[in-house]
Amino acid sequence: MDKNLLGYKGVKPVFLIVGFLTLVQSLSIILLAKSLAGVVSALFAGEPLKEQGAETLLFLLAFLVRHACAMLMSRVSYSFAEATGSSMRKQMMDKLFQLGPRLAGNRGTGTLVTMVLEGVTKFRTYLELIIPRMVGMGITPWLLLVYVYTLDTASGVILTLTMPIIVVFMILIGVTARKQMDRQLKSYRTLSNHFVDSLRGLETLKFLGRSRSHADSIAKVSDSYRSATMRTLRVAFLSSFAMDFFTMLSVASVAVSLGLRLVNEQMTLVTGLTILILAPEYFLPVRLVGADFHATLDGKEAGEAMKDIIDRNTVEARLLDTGEAAAPAVPAGHNAVFSWSPGSTLELRGIGVQYEAEGIPSLEEVNLAFHGNAKIGIIGESGAGKSTLIDILGGFLHPSSGELALNGKRLSALTAEAWRKQTSYIPQRPYIFSGTLADNVRFYHPEAMEEEVAAVVSASGLSQLVESLPGGLNEPIGSGGRSLSGGQEQRVALARSLLSSRPVMLLDEPTAHLDIETEYELKETMLPLFEGKLVFLATHRLHWMIDMDLIVVMKQGRVAEAGTHHELLARKGAYYELVEAQGEGVR
Amino acid sequence: MKREGWFAPYVSGYFWRFLLIIALGALTIFSASSLMYTSGFLISKASIPPENILMIYVPIVGVRTFGTSRAVIHYVERLVGHDTILRVLSKMRIRLYKVLEPQALFLSSRFRTGDILGMLAEDIEYLQNVYLRTVFPSVIALLIYGAAVIALGTFDWAFALLMALYILVLVVVLPLISLFFTQKRQRLVKTERNRLYQKLTDAVLGMEDWMISGRQAQFVETYEADEKTVARTDGALRRWARVRMFIGQAVVGVAVLSMIYWAAGEYESGAIAGTLIAAFALVVFPVADAFLPVSEAVEKLPQYASSLERLDGVERSAADVPRAALFTVTPETAEQAAQAAAAAKAGGQVHIRLDHAGFAYEADGQWSVRNVSIDIPQGRKIAVIGRSGAGKSTLLKLIQGVLAPAAGTVRIGGLDAAAYGEHIPGIIAVLNQSPHLFDTTVANNIRLGDPDAPDDAVKQAAALARLGGLIASLPQGYDTPVREAGQRFSGGERQRIALARILLQNTPVVVLDEPTVGLDPRTERELLSTMFEAMQDKTLIWVTHHLVGAEQMDEVIFMENGAIEMRGTHAELMASQPRYRKLYELDRPQGFNQAAAE
Repeated sequence: MDKNLLGYKGVKPVFLIVGFLTLVQSLSIILLAKSLAGVVSALFAGEPLKEQGAETLLFLLAFLVRHACAMLMSRVSYSFAEATGSSMRKQMMDKLFQLGPRLAGNRGTGTLVTMVLEGVTKFRTYLELIIPRMVGMGITPWLLLVYVYTLDTASGVILTLTMPIIVVFMILIGVTARKQMDRQLKSYRTLSNHFVDSLRGLETLKFLGRSRSHADSIAKVSDSYRSATMRTLRVAFLSSFAMDFFTMLSVASVAVSLGLRLVNEQMTLVTGLTILILAPEYFLPVRLVGADFHATLDGKEAGEAMKDIIDRNTVEARLLDTGEAAAPAVPAGHNAVFSWSPGSTLELRGIGVQYEAEGIPSLEEVNLAFHGNAKIGIIGESGAGKSTLIDILGGFLHPSSGELALNGKRLSALTAEAWRKQTSYIPQRPYIFSGTLADNVRFYHPEAMEEEVAAVVSASGLSQLVESLPGGLNEPIGSGGRSLSGGQEQRVALARSLLSSRPVMLLDEPTAHLDIETEYELKETMLPLFEGKLVFLATHRLHWMIDMDLIVVMKQGRVAEAGTHHELLARKGAYYELVEAQGEGVR
Repeated sequence: MKREGWFAPYVSGYFWRFLLIIALGALTIFSASSLMYTSGFLISKASIPPENILMIYVPIVGVRTFGTSRAVIHYVERLVGHDTILRVLSKMRIRLYKVLEPQALFLSSRFRTGDILGMLAEDIEYLQNVYLRTVFPSVIALLIYGAAVIALGTFDWAFALLMALYILVLVVVLPLISLFFTQKRQRLVKTERNRLYQKLTDAVLGMEDWMISGRQAQFVETYEADEKTVARTDGALRRWARVRMFIGQAVVGVAVLSMIYWAAGEYESGAIAGTLIAAFALVVFPVADAFLPVSEAVEKLPQYASSLERLDGVERSAADVPRAALFTVTPETAEQAAQAAAAAKAGGQVHIRLDHAGFAYEADGQWSVRNVSIDIPQGRKIAVIGRSGAGKSTLLKLIQGVLAPAAGTVRIGGLDAAAYGEHIPGIIAVLNQSPHLFDTTVANNIRLGDPDAPDDAVKQAAALARLGGLIASLPQGYDTPVREAGQRFSGGERQRIALARILLQNTPVVVLDEPTVGLDPRTERELLSTMFEAMQDKTLIWVTHHLVGAEQMDEVIFMENGAIEMRGTHAELMASQPRYRKLYELDRPQGFNQAAAE
């Protein structure tokens, strides 16, 4: 049983309604069995057809009521599942944006998206099935069993005994199948992924001259995959086999025992028929549970995975002196804390970031101070902590230790809407959504006028592109539209940032993946636009550093040194080493 | 060539197995029906006095047999069904692979959006449901339909026709209405869901941007609104499914009543025994179980359609690969090329020559490469640089003979490059931006370069690629799995494994297609050093986005708009071309060196 189930909003009325409907359904099953048996045995006894009108009508009515109940139940649980699923998705989406990009980085974008889209669908199916199934199991068999006992004890005993046998076998076989699956899970996964792996590596195979002969290997692996699957299925299908076998056997036993007692005239035909009709109905709820077992299990797990994310704590940025949340609940006066002007200061005091308790810290004891508008270069090798530092400065991430001081106010983090409103951001691969070029430029500032957009587009060097597009500024780009080159994407992000005219600018490795000419031109465009802003530029491309006012050299999560280009060269420390290594070139 | 469907050939190929599955499926229904039929008969018969146990012995045996056989037959049916379908899937996979294989080098440019390859693989998986969920249940239902009507017909043809009408509602009318009602909506739900998937993926990838924009609440709102639209359509589908189920059951109820009335009438007129009334009444329920799922089975048809369309689309596109369109390989030239390739491979000597070569993807379109002449004797090392779209990849394809030049010539050892066809991998090895590591061990990945290579050769190649230290640090050494797409390793390490692989391939020519994009400067420098060292005697054609290492080349070629803009050795270009100097300084800023030298 799922203990979360009772916690969902509005679940109790659903249980009540489904319970009531199941009760009506069970009673109508008894009624339809009784009336059908009545009609048949009366006719059998030679009574005229005409006199059976009322009873046949009763049968039809009971039959329809039974299925109408099923329809209503399915409807009630569907709308509940739909509502709960959507609210879960909404919570999940809100949480995703609160937790920030790190989660997507750790879990993988694909996994997260699948979790939201397919997870919700699975979870919905689970909710939709589990309530009627549980209630059905809880009411129908017992009611029918009691009724059968009142008619005939022997049949009641047969039915009573079969039920635990079915359940025990189902569990036993289920466990065995799962064990077997777990045992060969690894080789199984490799086999099932082999085909996709082959398709993805087709180009490489072609270059190696192996692509033709690889078809044989696909055939071979497909074959072993089939054998492995069949081995598992042989056991897995046993579970439904056992269920079928024992229910059918039980029905047959009831029929035979009824027959024997009828011969000995210990029973009337109408009773016998009633029990015979009821016997399969008695097992139906268990069989449904068995048939839907995997769907419900999947859905339950999907629900738990989502709940796990929703229940995560997000740490709000707090004003440390007063202890209150920094924004936006606090009125406008406090938001002034976050605004950046030429006289502003920002200090990082002992900032550290550690994702896992036992893991290696991504940032450790970072102490830095920034004043007014300046260009700050953050340099270091891959994994030195550049991006994590950008995440702290952009307010995407709450540090796990240390504090910040912004304009003299002590803060636990910059993760506040008000700070983000001060910043613009240019990553290695900017976010280009499917929409027009103008809409993409307007992303931070949707109200911007056409002329403003045109101005920033030309300032960021996109004029030539716009002229070449048939739709000009209104040309659709992104998925489904025209695709842009890496350099053009950077320019869109630059235009976006210019349009918002926010005083703080963050760049995370903006040019490393571009060809050197594009990089050169982009740098020429960017440098003048950095003036009059606080700019943080994280990169491993040294050439940017000459134009920076302050260089922060990161090494293994720590600030190795900070200073101007000339200071650092003279000091002959970590920065000097980087420059030296680059000077050596390729041998 | 006539294209075969993705469905029919497998039906004829596995005809007997399919027949067996359908027979077993029909038998399953038959057993279940017979159980109820004989049970009804049994207890009616038993209740006629005076009666003794021997008179009902046969029905008792029948009841027991049918009670046990249904489960057994059904179990066998499912196993045979899945086994057959997995065989069919295996055939389909090979077929898809063989369709994709010739166009391998154009796949990335042709199917840009999304992971089309993964999708195609899923389409094939999905097609198994065509058989298991739609074809088999429908055919079985039709079979039972026929059998039931004929069986009733032996008693009374008129009534059999009436029942045939009832069943027609279940097997034909409801499914058709279902199909009509759901087709458009299902397609709508599917395309909408794909769109949502795309939208959400975009948003998660651009999460920082959304957070900075402060509009994340707005995104969630529009996303939820879209989800609601989908949910509405989905709700309509579900409502119909419920109503359909109810209508189906109502038909069954009416059928039961008709059956009773008819049987009673027959009994009155003395045409059938009274014991059959109960038998006929009870048999309706299990028989109906064969008909009720048909609507659902048929409803799924449009869902398969899009998978089939996609697979068909891939087969169609196979026809218009631009490959050596202008080039016909005669048996003689093929023979010559095979010999030349073998000689080049054995001697390690090959001379590549481009003479005023040009290529345009469309006859009257822009030239992607024009008027390019390069002479590459064995051992020469050239770097090719230019921005995206400058014609670098087309140039490489010309050299590899994947494309035949529309103007001028591209010759390898005196023969047209396009003539070499399948022999090219014996002469030219390629290391590109993201070589694929297969989900197997390190050793197996390296050995792909030459499957017959002894262990020593694999180790030697790994040593040349400077993998020794890395492999020694792995838990199982060479037998360590690389995990899906080589996830266990960093970008630089993956490139080194791929490097070992092409070193084992041991070709006289190596094409390096931007192998260092995305690596940090130190990794980039180290990797390049290793490559240049390991390839001293080989011809090197290196497409690069940076100029680090350009000093090591015999010639640097600068491409722009398909043509060579400037060329020369590094020293020449530094001396004569201010533009080149400017770019080179980005990679090795002059100010730095002076300061460092002080």
